[in-house]
Amino acid sequence: MADAVLVTGMAAQWRVAKWRPRRTTLLAFAMLSPSLLFLALFTYWPVVEVAWQALHNQRKIGGPQVYVGLDNFLKLFADPAFRKALVNNLVYAFGTVVPSLVLALGFAMALAKSNRVNTLLRALFFLPVLIPLVAAASIFLFLFLPNVGLLDYHLAKLALSGPNWLGDPDVALYSIMGLTIWKNAGYYMLFFLAGLQAVPADAYEAAILDGAGPWQRLRHITLPYLKPTIGFVLVIGLLNVVTQVDHVFVLTKGGPSDSTNLLLFYVYQQAVESYDAGRAAAGTLVMLALLLAITASSLRTLERSFGEREA
Amino acid sequence: MTTTRRSVLAGAALAASFALSPAFAQAPTEIELFFPVPVDGQLARDMATMIKEFNETHPAIKATPVYTGSYDETLIKTRAAMKAGKPPAAAIMSANFLLDLKIEGEIQPLDGLIKADGKSNDQFMGQFFPALYGNAVLDRSVYGVPFHNSTPLLYINADHFKEAGLDPDKLPATWEEFAAAAKKLTKREGDRVTRWGITMPSNYDYGGWILQALTQSNGGQWFNVDYGGEVYYDTPSMLGALTFWSDLVAKAKVHPAGVQAGGAVSSAFLSGQSSMVLLSTGSLTHIRSNAKFPYKVAFVPKNVKNEVPIGGASLVIPTGVEGARRQAAWTLINWLTAPEKSGWWSRATGYFAPNMAAYDLPEMKEFLAKNPDAGIAVKQLAFAKPWFATYKTVPVRKAIEDELQAVLSGKKAPKEALVAAQKTADEVMRPYVEQTALKLPTN
Repeated sequence: MADAVLVTGMAAQWRVAKWRPRRTTLLAFAMLSPSLLFLALFTYWPVVEVAWQALHNQRKIGGPQVYVGLDNFLKLFADPAFRKALVNNLVYAFGTVVPSLVLALGFAMALAKSNRVNTLLRALFFLPVLIPLVAAASIFLFLFLPNVGLLDYHLAKLALSGPNWLGDPDVALYSIMGLTIWKNAGYYMLFFLAGLQAVPADAYEAAILDGAGPWQRLRHITLPYLKPTIGFVLVIGLLNVVTQVDHVFVLTKGGPSDSTNLLLFYVYQQAVESYDAGRAAAGTLVMLALLLAITASSLRTLERSFGEREA
Repeated sequence: MTTTRRSVLAGAALAASFALSPAFAQAPTEIELFFPVPVDGQLARDMATMIKEFNETHPAIKATPVYTGSYDETLIKTRAAMKAGKPPAAAIMSANFLLDLKIEGEIQPLDGLIKADGKSNDQFMGQFFPALYGNAVLDRSVYGVPFHNSTPLLYINADHFKEAGLDPDKLPATWEEFAAAAKKLTKREGDRVTRWGITMPSNYDYGGWILQALTQSNGGQWFNVDYGGEVYYDTPSMLGALTFWSDLVAKAKVHPAGVQAGGAVSSAFLSGQSSMVLLSTGSLTHIRSNAKFPYKVAFVPKNVKNEVPIGGASLVIPTGVEGARRQAAWTLINWLTAPEKSGWWSRATGYFAPNMAAYDLPEMKEFLAKNPDAGIAVKQLAFAKPWFATYKTVPVRKAIEDELQAVLSGKKAPKEALVAAQKTADEVMRPYVEQTALKLPTN
């Protein structure tokens, strides 16, 4: 009874608050409403639809969508192609994010001082970022072309024959990873360049006076100061490896024998090639859950490491 | 005087009715045609030219061509438009998607429209090459009208033939001769191959089609033409075809290992890195305008009999297109597939004109006299059979293509690959089989 009174009281309070919103709140909502409207229309509503679709599928061919519970998820996890895409994506994530980060950090440290040559080099390293992924993939199609492609052309001059870059199941994923690293390293370099500006020059001076070598300076000054940048770039990088598959589409369509199939491309195949909207939606939700988990955990680790440092 | 006055009055009334109620004015029926272009950008402009001519000669219809990308993207966009409740009045669809679209109830039978024109289905289809019926007539109803078609074809580099001591006027007709020629044509520097005897495309979509050609040339069927729930992957004819391909790679070493994409195969041929290739007749125009050496074409070599699958696309009318729009779409479809336009499009693209009468027109005869290679391609149509199509065609095809790619990469033996492919394909088709052939009376 008391609870009920309390609830009514709160509801009343809430209603009062609702009836007399502050002017600033109103203004804020008014100014936010265009983007809220578009977010609702093009982001939140589709999310709701995907969630609905993940629980529905056709029972009868050509028939309506009916509720099937978790059937789509069970079939998804039972599909060897899905498991293969998951493993591929893990290899791809590890094999592209780590080298891109190391390269980007190297570039940024080499080009940290602003002078004319460095500005030019920075622009050159940044160039791949400006090329749309689809266009970059089309260019790499010619690099990887067997026998006549740029790679094989130069290898032939050394009397070597290259592997079938995109047609060998043992090599294809690594070829695609090469493209991703080439494409992303310059982008991450930009963040590290910004991050390096925040490293106080006197910290280095003190280190040099104390006789610290370049490796020690990197380990004990640069990296600790860059920690937030590394964390941020890590999250961006992991999001990229899950959400960008244009090059897979252009170069291999997931082949040979699914060896370059990544999660998002698998979802595309289910939706378009297999015309199985239910399984595609289930795959999308699994992917979203993974992304959220990765982002949340890396952000938390990041915050914790900050806390330690300040304490 | 009275008559004049009356007619003037009538005229005025008519004019008024036009002005006041636009419903009386014959506004043109607006239709749109979704079309893919599998070759290049020029064709999109050719299509626009053709539709413009259609609109000029048919004032009651206003057709808009909508370029929808590749065959796959056209399927996606057509389905998306249907889900949004606005299906295009007509679409050019990859011929092997028709069965899937029919099973899902997404395209409509054209029998009623054919009947209204005073023809029987047989009379209507009789104007096209018989090889094209299987992918257009489903369960005895016409669902598609062939627009442009192709078959696999053997292309050879005549210079390489002479250099290797082979006669470029006597091209390999059997697998025996094919493999022997490949051996002579392959060039090596130590262990490194500098020129391959044969290259055949094995990427998704293309690989399945070429393997179908080899299987049929080996007496096989690949799939049940009359029922969408059966494929014959684990059979001797298919085992022979797959082993033949695998031996060219692993034993004779005259064919490069791993997956070869269609574009890479035509580049290899044009750059002289491969002496013989199997490619679509749709590549004929591309090869003709880019080859810097004399080339020849021939039928796909056989082991048991000459037989190849067709490829290409048909015009369909999606479900939900009714009344005047359907009639207008039908007018457009008939106009596009009539001999004159069919022949024109064929000469522009390199595809066959599906309408047989196109080959009786003087401009076509002149073209074939100038380009005898196009004539050979057409002759092979007499030995052509329908393109592989089942319930969920693409995943069922992917089941065998994944295994083909594993075999060509040396990861699997042909027999175990075929057993695995059969199992995967049966699994994909199971819901259809259970709801059709295995749905039996329970009492």
